[in-house]
Amino acid sequence: MSGMFYKAFYPCAKVRDFMYDYLEDNLPMVVSIRFHLHLNGCAECREYLYLYRAAANAQTFRKENPPPEEFLDATLDFLAKEGIVDPADEEDRENA
Amino acid sequence: MSIPKPMAQPLDFEAINAAEFLGRLREAGPGGQKAFGQLVRATHEKFLGFIRRQLSSQDECQEVLQEVYLAVHKGLAGFKGESKLTTWMFSLAHHKICDRIGDRNRSHQELTESREAALSTEAADDRLAGATAWDAPPDRLSARNAVEGLIAKAIEALPEQARQVYHLRDVEGLSGEETAAMTGMTPENVRVQLHRARQRIVEWVREKMAGAAAAPVPDGSASAGKPASGATKT
Repeated sequence: MSGMFYKAFYPCAKVRDFMYDYLEDNLPMVVSIRFHLHLNGCAECREYLYLYRAAANAQTFRKENPPPEEFLDATLDFLAKEGIVDPADEEDRENA
Repeated sequence: MSIPKPMAQPLDFEAINAAEFLGRLREAGPGGQKAFGQLVRATHEKFLGFIRRQLSSQDECQEVLQEVYLAVHKGLAGFKGESKLTTWMFSLAHHKICDRIGDRNRSHQELTESREAALSTEAADDRLAGATAWDAPPDRLSARNAVEGLIAKAIEALPEQARQVYHLRDVEGLSGEETAAMTGMTPENVRVQLHRARQRIVEWVREKMAGAAAAPVPDGSASAGKPASGATKT
C-alpha cells in the first residue's frame, strides 16, 4: 500500500485505543472498517496489535508445574488442626 | 440400623455457587469435613498459582492459601452472594494478598527491592527459559518464546493496581464484573485499567525489542534479533 493514506482513516494512537474493543468484538461497523483499513497499511500497528493480543492472552501461555505435594499436605494438616477437614482422611489424600 | 447415605455426586467446584456448596456441607453433616477436603484438593493448585504469581515467598504463599480456606470455612455460613464459589474464593484470596502487599508497602523499600529482584537478570532468564520450578523466584508466567518472556517481565513492571487487574482478567481469566466486584472498582474502571495495563506491556516489550534490534551483534548481521515486522516507533 503506497503512501501513508491509511492514516487518513485513523491516526495510530486512535487505532491502538480501539484495540480493547476490537478484541472484545465491540467495534461499531464503520469504526471497524476504518480500523482495518488503517491496519492494512500500517505495519507498526499490526505489530502493536500482535503484542496487544499476546498480552491479552496471557492465560493461554501460562504454564506451571504443579506445586509440590507438601503444599497440599501442609494445607490439609493445618485445616485438620482447625477441625475443618477430617484428619483421618488419609485414603482420600492418597487418591488425590 | 442406619442405612449409609449413598455417595454424593462429585462436586464441580468451577460451577457451583457458594450457597449450593454450603447446602452440600450441611447435607453432609459430620461428613462436611470430607466435602471441604474435596474442595481443598480440587482447588488448591489453582489458588496457589494465583497467590504465587503475586507473592514471592513460598512460606507466605502457603500461609495465604491456608488463610483463604480458613476464611472460606468461616465465611460460608454468612455469605449471601450467589456468585460462583471460586469467584468468591478469588475475592478472598485477592484481599489476603492485598493485605500482605499492604503490609509490605508499609516498608516500601522492601517491596521495591523485591520487585527489582524479580526483574533481575537471573529471574528474567529463568522465565525466558520457561523455568517453573517451585523453588525458583516468583514465576508469574513462563515463556514459550521470547515475546512471551518479555510480556512476563513487562507484567512485573506494571504499577500495583494495573497489575492486579491484569492478573485477575488476563491471567486468571475472570470476567470484568467479577474483577470489579473483587477490587471495588466499577466495570468501566476495570476496562480502562486493563486496557492501560496491556498498552504498558506492549510499549515495554516494543521498547525492549527495539533495544535488542539496535544492539550490535557479534556476527555483524544487522537484522539479528530484530522483530519480524521491522523497526518500531512509539
